[in-house]
Amino acid sequence: MNLIREIWQSIVRRDPLSTDKGKSELVFLNVWLHIHPAKVKKENLRFRYTFYLGFITFFLFMILVTTGIALMCYYRPFPPQAYQDMKDLQFVVFMGPFLRSMHRWAAHAMVVCVFLHMCRVFYSGSYKKPRQFNWVIGVLLLLLTLGLSFTGYLLPWDQLAYWAITVGTNIGSYAPLVGGQVRELLLGGHTVGEAALIRFYVLHVAVLPSLMILLTVVHFWRIRKDGGLSRPTWRLKPSRPEALVTIGAPPETAPLKTVPASKDKTYGLMEVVTGKPIFETITPEEEEDAVFSYPYAFFREAIALMVTVTGIMAISLFFHAPLEALANPAKTPNPAKAPWYFLGLQELVSHSALLGGVVAPALMVLALLAIPYFDRNPSRRPSDRKWAIWLFTIFVVVNLVLIVIGTFFRGPGWAFVPPWVHVVAGAE
Amino acid sequence: MVALGSGVAVSLGAVVRFLVPSVFYEPPQTFKIGNPADFPFGPPTFLADEKIFVFRDREKGFAVASAVCTHLGCTVGYFQSDQRFHCPCHGSVFAANGAVQHGPAPKALNWFEVTMTRDGQLRVDKDKVVPSNYRLMV
Repeated sequence: MNLIREIWQSIVRRDPLSTDKGKSELVFLNVWLHIHPAKVKKENLRFRYTFYLGFITFFLFMILVTTGIALMCYYRPFPPQAYQDMKDLQFVVFMGPFLRSMHRWAAHAMVVCVFLHMCRVFYSGSYKKPRQFNWVIGVLLLLLTLGLSFTGYLLPWDQLAYWAITVGTNIGSYAPLVGGQVRELLLGGHTVGEAALIRFYVLHVAVLPSLMILLTVVHFWRIRKDGGLSRPTWRLKPSRPEALVTIGAPPETAPLKTVPASKDKTYGLMEVVTGKPIFETITPEEEEDAVFSYPYAFFREAIALMVTVTGIMAISLFFHAPLEALANPAKTPNPAKAPWYFLGLQELVSHSALLGGVVAPALMVLALLAIPYFDRNPSRRPSDRKWAIWLFTIFVVVNLVLIVIGTFFRGPGWAFVPPWVHVVAGAE
Repeated sequence: MVALGSGVAVSLGAVVRFLVPSVFYEPPQTFKIGNPADFPFGPPTFLADEKIFVFRDREKGFAVASAVCTHLGCTVGYFQSDQRFHCPCHGSVFAANGAVQHGPAPKALNWFEVTMTRDGQLRVDKDKVVPSNYRLMV
């Protein structure tokens, strides 16, 4: 018994969790958990402040990595075999359809959650100083999510895959100067073929996920350094200025020993050496409101994880990922539609390939990246930000309307067909 | 600094060069399509693998049009009913001579050079784009 206890102690190296010291050590002696603070403000954990969208997005990414690795065991990235392997996954492999569906629906859900997360961060003004650059990283993560969806789309090598990638890479070739060369580099040739499939596979399973993990780590690290989850500060009661406690090091002029200390708060060395990493000053009342991450934060995160995983599993039980006929370069399906999250783009492209396919998306991305530097208004209170909120809402609505038009209102030959009008398939 | 900078530049150049294939394992751009007698007069023959339409006219002779839409690369169809090309992706319409009549396509369909080889077969060269009035009289 003593040996078992000794082994366990050599692994965890902390006091029992019944003690406050143990609860703190659980967090900061563990390389995976110490992205959390030992204590969090209980208020920050409220569901309606963040809707846990960041957590959910991360958990969806974890599902995608796990199911993706499983699918790799049965997938060969060469043209005829790739499609045969899809058929095997559909009919032969144990739990094949379930795993493939989980991968598909988690990918779709991730696009949705990343977008909603972006909306939440915008409407709560959480991109403002000092979090400007974390917003930029967030936009890059959104682009990576779309890039992963796009590269994953080719892999089944069915009609949908083949034509979505043909159209998508041709949009890229309209980019001025380098467009054609970038397309050739991406495809490893002049048409979508063997070389393109292996390159998209490498991007999908190695390059893009690595970048995603790197940027996610930076994204989380900066949230932690910037004072944790961003709460609506304008709702907090105004504090008495004389009662403020500053967390972090004093101004450079003051000697180090005057670091303000309270009886139950530990100050990390990092906070002393790097100056003032935490931007918010907190009141003693809030200090009392802080709770240990174990179990309060971890419990809520575990619930979010379980809801996400069971939700995706439940959807995958009832709805299976579609698979169309084998890719046929000679016959374009009519209408040839991209996945729904690119149908807004396809709608724009149907009007003008250069303006809709290159200029408009590039401007949108630049506008998103510029938001935290362009918006100089320091207030995060919604009533002070009417213009910003209006502009962003227009951006969101325009995107949604374009997607709805592309999805439901476009029929054969990309003609405008309302969903309630029945078009006979194959009619010329 | 200069040495370091040029080292990085050369490495980046090498990476890009590495990604450009030295050999393309793709169908050749020049290929034989068969004997003239294989092609009927009237509606064009669609060759799926090559993505081309072979037109044969009693008076004017042979012409070969690309079936790849100039907008985003979908395969267009030729409809005898209105004698025009229609693209299924974004609704571009091309006249019988390949000119854009409707839709987002930025330029006309390509016409390729068609010649006759020594063994009497027709040969198409997709690298040689010709005017739409180009014909091979057989």
